[in-house]
Amino acid sequence: MLKKITYTFILSFLTLNSFAQNNGGEIHGDFDLNMQSYQEDEIIGAKAADEIILNNAYLNINYTKGDFTAGLRYESYLNALMDFDDSYKGNGIPFRYASYTIDGLEVTVGNYYEQVGSGLIFRSYENKGLGADNAMDGIRLKYSPLKGIYLKTFIGKSRTYFTYAEGIIRGADAEVNLNEALNLESKTKIIIGQGLVSRFQADINPKFKLPQNVAAYSTRLNIINGGWNYSGEYAVKLNDPVGSLTSEGNNYAKGNALMSSLTYSKRGFGIVAEMHRVDHMEFRSERAQEKQYIINYIPTLTKQHTYTLLALYPSATQTEGEFGTQIDVFYKIKKGSLLGGKYGTKLIFNFSRINALNVGSSFLNDNRKHTPMFISIKGEELYYKDINLEVYKKINKKIRATGVIAKQSYNKDVLEGKTPGTYGIVESTIAIADISYKIKKGYTVRIELQELLADGGEGSWSMGLAEYTISPHWFFAVQDMYNWGNHEISKQLHYVNINFGYLKGANRIEIGYGKKRAGIFCVGGVCKEVPSSNGFSLAISSSF
Amino acid sequence: MKNIITLFSFILIITSCDVVEGPYEIDSGDITPIDTNTYVKKILIEDFTGHTCQNCPAAARELEAIHDIYGDQIIGMALHVSKTFARPYPSSQAPNYQYDFRTKWGKEWDDLFGISGIGLPGGMINRIGYPNEHRLGKDEWLARVISELEKEIDFGISITTNMTGDEGVITINTEILNNIIGDYNLVICLSESNIINWQKDGAEDVENYEHNHALRSLLSDENLSTSSNYTAADKIEKTISVNLSTLEQFNINYSQNTAELGNGNAGGWDASNMSVIAYIFDNTTQEILQVEEAHLNK
Repeated sequence: MLKKITYTFILSFLTLNSFAQNNGGEIHGDFDLNMQSYQEDEIIGAKAADEIILNNAYLNINYTKGDFTAGLRYESYLNALMDFDDSYKGNGIPFRYASYTIDGLEVTVGNYYEQVGSGLIFRSYENKGLGADNAMDGIRLKYSPLKGIYLKTFIGKSRTYFTYAEGIIRGADAEVNLNEALNLESKTKIIIGQGLVSRFQADINPKFKLPQNVAAYSTRLNIINGGWNYSGEYAVKLNDPVGSLTSEGNNYAKGNALMSSLTYSKRGFGIVAEMHRVDHMEFRSERAQEKQYIINYIPTLTKQHTYTLLALYPSATQTEGEFGTQIDVFYKIKKGSLLGGKYGTKLIFNFSRINALNVGSSFLNDNRKHTPMFISIKGEELYYKDINLEVYKKINKKIRATGVIAKQSYNKDVLEGKTPGTYGIVESTIAIADISYKIKKGYTVRIELQELLADGGEGSWSMGLAEYTISPHWFFAVQDMYNWGNHEISKQLHYVNINFGYLKGANRIEIGYGKKRAGIFCVGGVCKEVPSSNGFSLAISSSF
Repeated sequence: MKNIITLFSFILIITSCDVVEGPYEIDSGDITPIDTNTYVKKILIEDFTGHTCQNCPAAARELEAIHDIYGDQIIGMALHVSKTFARPYPSSQAPNYQYDFRTKWGKEWDDLFGISGIGLPGGMINRIGYPNEHRLGKDEWLARVISELEKEIDFGISITTNMTGDEGVITINTEILNNIIGDYNLVICLSESNIINWQKDGAEDVENYEHNHALRSLLSDENLSTSSNYTAADKIEKTISVNLSTLEQFNINYSQNTAELGNGNAGGWDASNMSVIAYIFDNTTQEILQVEEAHLNK
């Protein structure tokens, strides 16, 4: 049935395409290919692929004419890269849509991505790095009846790999910009929003009463005044047991999440103070507690590091329960001052801490009821802590330098879903130096030196990276990660990677070779395990 | 018009919510397990597990709960797999987790179906959905079981055993119930229940955990017939000799020499707790079409 709909859609799309050639409109697209060879490497635990090479590729095509758009995405996994779930297999067109806007009403049919508020109750998105794609297939309407009032409603099923989950998802959201709606001239801007999402799935459980319609709702508020910005959202998910046949497997408790953020910024200075509390708030497109069904998103409350050793132990948001706080301070030391020098100096300080809820998340069944304290920090199990300072300095016209020093605590058992007590908390101290030297116009060398000192986990690491860029076409990079502090001498290994790339116009080609360690890769607090690998890689991206 | 549509959507959403009040457990007495003395659809739940997998006992309890509802139509098999969750601990940590439940065939099936690669516990219901939708979390088992129970059967399997001590003969009789064409295999396995040993259960280390349905050995995996045409009322008999000591030693050697970080501690079989599981699967789709279980010493 899905294939039949897809083929009909493609036919319509091709017809539109030929129509477009004669009547205007624009067609744009982008292509992405990632190919890798996999050789066995027993020392790092890398497995060979039976296929020798694995390949992921995507092509997006979008047609636009006036207020009408249509598009599709072709996906190819022959077979999927090892760090992808192998349920992605084969070729297909899992994403196709058509949309038009008339008199303020936007109608979308087919696939779409959508988010309610911050995503606490609903987010459908795709991230190729994570291998995540929970695109909706259905209908979405957006409408602005009055200035400053934005309404949307949608219905559909959520994608899981090349099929769709069992549940039917219905959602609606209203956002009101009070200043726009009431024509207020006030310096204070207020935006309020209310979202509702409901999932239907039939109750087939012969032993337990299950809600067939599970609702979640959220209220949000954003106040902006000059350099101040407050943003807060509170969400509740009603009873959502997984439908087990065992009493302990079914949790009927309500879930809730609160996030609150206060920002102040002015020229050369900014501060962000945030907190969030999450309790039993994973919302899924099917009752089963499997990651591919997750349809909401709790934004992470820790800094998203880009330097390799800073991101070696990343924080994954625990949607079933955590309490976290974060503070981020940005300050620029003025030019001409003692510390600022000729170009000024930028400082970014960040602190975050995440811990468990008191005696775990909310639980309710016939035998047990538990609601954790609203705020409890002292004595609770630590999940993650990060305190770091980043200094950015332009030394002269040719040299720029970034230095980072950080201290992190990482609960490996909880954040990686390991058996409690296996690894405990990994304490690490990290230092980074990143120096960029412009040899002459278009020729730049960049050196990264990184050091991570730790007793737990895999012990200490060093990393060096040298990158040479000849703008605008070429770049070359060589990198070595050395796990010199591993407690197992046989695992004190070098992970060397060599990459070079060529860019011309809208095309980019990158070829690499090297060893990658097994680890955790995260985007915005959503994480996946990545297996170790050894082999060549080829990445091509292109757009038109 | 558009305002009405939007308003309607909001009303729909607001009313689309069921709040269930306790008691949550309902009387399921109206479900009477059907008479399994005649041929009925039976289902194999393959539960891929490991003794240091903290969430795996919840899956084992789900399997038992499904069995409690649907009786002998549900046949379980626990396959201990992976280095991460099923390896025995080093002897320096004795007595915790010293046993090696892993088998050569558990690993082969785990590699083929890719279960532990995406995390344990995980399972299959009659291997339905292969190659993309066969791996199911425990919360997905019930729905798949219910849909499987609706299917008609083309095969009836009966098992007879004749054991003396560690040795004996197992006979599998397959009766064809409809005229069918296909490429089918008959698989015969041994499993053991009531094995008391260590198991991680949540944060607890349970010393006296009862391991059930643990796969011990694969006795046969061959074509059901040399022909692909099957005629209703035909009967196919397969007889196989077993020597438990030899099979047990095979597992000990496998653990000692082949399994990752194994220790050879895979013996101590108790024939009185062992079962024969025989199933027929479609070689094209991997779907298990019928399965039967009988005590080894019956």
